[in-house]
Amino acid sequence: MVEREKTRTDDVPLDDKAKRMRDLLSSFYNPDHSSAPKPPSDYENLDAINSTSFDPDHYMNVLVQKSNLEGLLRRHVEMAAEIKNLDTDLQMLVYENYNKFISATDAIKWMKSNIVGMQADMEQLLDKIMSVQSRSDGVNTSLFEKREHIEKLHRTRNLLRKVQFIYDLPARLSKCIKSEAYADAVKFYIGAMPIFKAYGDSSFQDCKGASEEAIVTVVKNLQAKLFSDSESIQARAEAAVLLKQLDFPVHSLQAKLLEKLEQSLGDLQLKTVRIENILRESNDPSKQGKPFESIPSTGHEVSVHGFAEAIRAYRVIFPDSESQLIKLAQNLVIKHFEMIKQCVKRRISSANFLGALRTIWTDVLLMDEVLSEASLADFSLEAGQVTVKKYVASTFTYLLQDISDALLKVKVSPKEEAEEHALKLALEASKKAVLQGSMDLLLDFRQLLDDDLGLLVKLREFIVDWVQKGFQDFFRALDDRFLLLSGRKNPSSQDQGLSEGAPGEKVLVGIVLVLAQLSEIAASFSGDGARGYENEHAFASGEIRQIFRSAAEKLLHHYINMRTQRVSTLLRKRFTTPNWVKHKEPREVHMFVDLFVQELRAVQSEVKQILPVGLMRKHHRSDSNGSTNSSRSNALLDDRMTQKGRSQLLETHLAKLFKQKVEIFTKVESTQESVETTIVKLCLKSLQEFVRLKTFNRSGFQQIQLDVQFLRTILREIIEVEDAIDFLLDEVIVAASERCFDPVPLEPPILDKLVQVKLARSKEQSK
Amino acid sequence: MQGSSGIGYGLKYQGRCISDVRADTDHTSFITGTLSLREENEVHLIRLSSSGTELICEGLFSHPNEIWDLASCPFDQRIFSTVFSTGESYGAAIWQIPELYGQLNSPQLERVASLDAHVGKINCVLWCPSGRHDKLISIDDENIFLWTLDCSKKAAQSKQSSGLLHYLSGGAWDPHDINAVATTCESSVQFWDLRTMKKTNTIERAHIRNANYDMKKNHILVTAEDESGIHIWDLRKPKSPVRELPGHTHWTWAVTCNPEYDGLILSAGTDSTVNLWMAPTSAEDEATSESIAESATQQADPLLNSYSDYEDSVYGLAWSNREPWIFASLSYDGRVVVESVKPFLSRK
Repeated sequence: MVEREKTRTDDVPLDDKAKRMRDLLSSFYNPDHSSAPKPPSDYENLDAINSTSFDPDHYMNVLVQKSNLEGLLRRHVEMAAEIKNLDTDLQMLVYENYNKFISATDAIKWMKSNIVGMQADMEQLLDKIMSVQSRSDGVNTSLFEKREHIEKLHRTRNLLRKVQFIYDLPARLSKCIKSEAYADAVKFYIGAMPIFKAYGDSSFQDCKGASEEAIVTVVKNLQAKLFSDSESIQARAEAAVLLKQLDFPVHSLQAKLLEKLEQSLGDLQLKTVRIENILRESNDPSKQGKPFESIPSTGHEVSVHGFAEAIRAYRVIFPDSESQLIKLAQNLVIKHFEMIKQCVKRRISSANFLGALRTIWTDVLLMDEVLSEASLADFSLEAGQVTVKKYVASTFTYLLQDISDALLKVKVSPKEEAEEHALKLALEASKKAVLQGSMDLLLDFRQLLDDDLGLLVKLREFIVDWVQKGFQDFFRALDDRFLLLSGRKNPSSQDQGLSEGAPGEKVLVGIVLVLAQLSEIAASFSGDGARGYENEHAFASGEIRQIFRSAAEKLLHHYINMRTQRVSTLLRKRFTTPNWVKHKEPREVHMFVDLFVQELRAVQSEVKQILPVGLMRKHHRSDSNGSTNSSRSNALLDDRMTQKGRSQLLETHLAKLFKQKVEIFTKVESTQESVETTIVKLCLKSLQEFVRLKTFNRSGFQQIQLDVQFLRTILREIIEVEDAIDFLLDEVIVAASERCFDPVPLEPPILDKLVQVKLARSKEQSK
Repeated sequence: MQGSSGIGYGLKYQGRCISDVRADTDHTSFITGTLSLREENEVHLIRLSSSGTELICEGLFSHPNEIWDLASCPFDQRIFSTVFSTGESYGAAIWQIPELYGQLNSPQLERVASLDAHVGKINCVLWCPSGRHDKLISIDDENIFLWTLDCSKKAAQSKQSSGLLHYLSGGAWDPHDINAVATTCESSVQFWDLRTMKKTNTIERAHIRNANYDMKKNHILVTAEDESGIHIWDLRKPKSPVRELPGHTHWTWAVTCNPEYDGLILSAGTDSTVNLWMAPTSAEDEATSESIAESATQQADPLLNSYSDYEDSVYGLAWSNREPWIFASLSYDGRVVVESVKPFLSRK
């Protein structure tokens, strides 16, 4: 306890003092302050003298109880000191307060004395402002009248000036006309217009009339200017603008001018027609050599230039007339292309076509320069597309026509002496037509492609496509045409040909053969040619070749068929007419063999002209001996015939078994030998079949034997005889023997003799 | 091409004609006859064994003359007709197979009736194709005879066609119209109405060897020609054929339509082959001939198969009615081959 007191007094003697001072002051200024602090604890209460709840008695008691005397004394001293301090503080505070009061009262006194003079000053100021305002009002009213007067005067002056202008207008206008300052004239006139409109009927009548007159002259002059080609475009355009400003019906003018343009276009076209005529003439064979380049008349160029200029002028003059001009220009292009189309119909060479295209293109470019909005290039591109396409198509059509013409020419002129080579010629001609024609065509198209003409450059891709497509179509059409010509597609004509048997028909048969060979050629060509033409583009050459191959095969078969059919008719007649059961003894070889041989020779001559010689051509005529062969087969036959009875059939069966099965019908190749032997084999097979359908007596059988024997001999002279033919000849005799009641063959000597007689006679005849 | 897939059967002599025994519903059997001028001719009744791997001779009967045509009666399996020749003259007859032929050693055929009104060469005898009509047609070079067969009386009455018709070569009876018959002659196919015995229509076409009606479809006739192959005709449009098939290397001798499968055609030729064709005409019935030609080229190869395992010309050809995927062919050397076309049908 003692220690705490000690520390308190030692540590904060000053603090305590200050604190007490503050507390005192606060209690002075704020008496309620004491109630605010929280109730202190007993000990605090005892200790805190400053609090309101301080109980001096209690404090005293506690102090007395707890402290010893020394302590109490010390406390007493302390307290006395404190009280003394407090007293001085209080005194000081009172002084300070008083001091402040004094200074405050001083200030108030000073303020009061200052404010008193202000009122008078303010009143004086107000008076002065009032007097200024009244003076300014006075000035204002005095000047008002004069100002109005001046304004009035000014207006009148303006009016007078305008009237003066109007009165001067006619003179001024005429002056302008004289100096050709139409622009000013128009400006003046337009300026005066509102007045004329308002007072034209009353005060300014004369004036108006005069100026209108003048304006009419102006208009007239302007029109003349507009239409005169000699004026500069600028001037003309200005004239047009002025006319428009004068409310002149420009549209009629425009129409007139357009008419003029159209007229010039017509002239141009007339000229073009002339050019095209020249172009056409140049197509004549006599002038063929002339290159096209020499032809384009400068006249045409000039006129197109003129036209372009005119259009340019027109455009400048009438800036809003594009659509009409475009129409006009397109018209020109269309007309051009129509011209070409006409020419294309008439078959022109590619050089000429190219030339024509070039002319058009230069025109188009010229026009395009003038009138780029018309996009003439595109337009002509479209038109050109159509034309080129047409050209390609028509070229192919002509080629097709050429080829069939070449073929048909032979048909038309089957002269006797020319017959030998007629087919050959036909083949050559048509071959040439196909190969040369296609080649030329390709060259022509190449030319089209190589040309650097803008139009064609743009169309190049298309052209390549068209040409390819054209070629494919062409080959297909050619194929169709071949089939049509061969009559294969038209069964009625085929029958007709058969029943006619006229010489014309013979040529027709030959033609089929020609066609067959031609197809073969076309097949090889269509492949190579196309490949040579455009490598990078897929060209269905394989397919085309396939078509032609099969067509060639078909036609070859058709030819063989037609030939064998003729022989069949021959054989049918031979076998249906006589009564074979009552046949008389054979005296000579029957006529049908001659006819057959004749047919064969015809075939041979046709085949020789057209088809190539087969590779496996054997030596035959020189070392084959007809008689030995015939005797050999006779011996064979004798063997067969002598053994009669039931076993006979078995024998032949056995013989067949041991004999290697002969392939009679092999694939036909397009060679002379193959076609010949195929025809012979088919005919012999037919002969066998006919024989099988009949029944013979001994003489009938012998007749067949004789005929076949002769045939065997003579065939060796004509063609190369294969095993199969020998076999078939044997078969005919076997068939006859089977169909005979009494198959006793002729004695070999008699047979030989009869054959020799016939041979001698036929040789005689041939000589 | 095809190996020896067929089942063979050898006749003793040469033969030209084979016929399906349609009335035999229990077995697949064929009847065929020989063509031999100097020997004794036979009629063979052949049955395909139930396993389908063997041909069994069910009956062997001697026939007085060489047989040029043979047709089985559609309603009695024991009756058939033949056209025969002595070499000098022709005859046609209806025969009945004797009832007890199994026991007899060499049974004789019973002659039911002779169709002997003919003068010239008889070409063929046709049985009415539709059911039980006891009507027959016989065709010779110049005439058509319509016969009414009375089996009980063993007699036949005839009705002759009017007019002289030159060079008839064969014919076919329309299965859809019992009054219509087609005959082939030298330059045309002619159509007859049997009620009036008058010609109703012609197709101008030379050298037709054989004609056959489509069994399933009306108005469709298939013809075989010597040189120019096979043609399919729509009889409503006789100007040009609906379809052409290439036929054979040499003559196409016989052609026959399958009784069950549409467009399945069999042809036999003198190039020793039998060709199987698939040539449906259904879609093009109403189309123009041009579009048909186009679509025909687009279609697949119509030739399904070529049976070439023959030694000689094939003249006889017959589909089995009981098992319509089986056909019998007869080549001139007297060899019967029965083949099944099943492997080619599955391809369809």
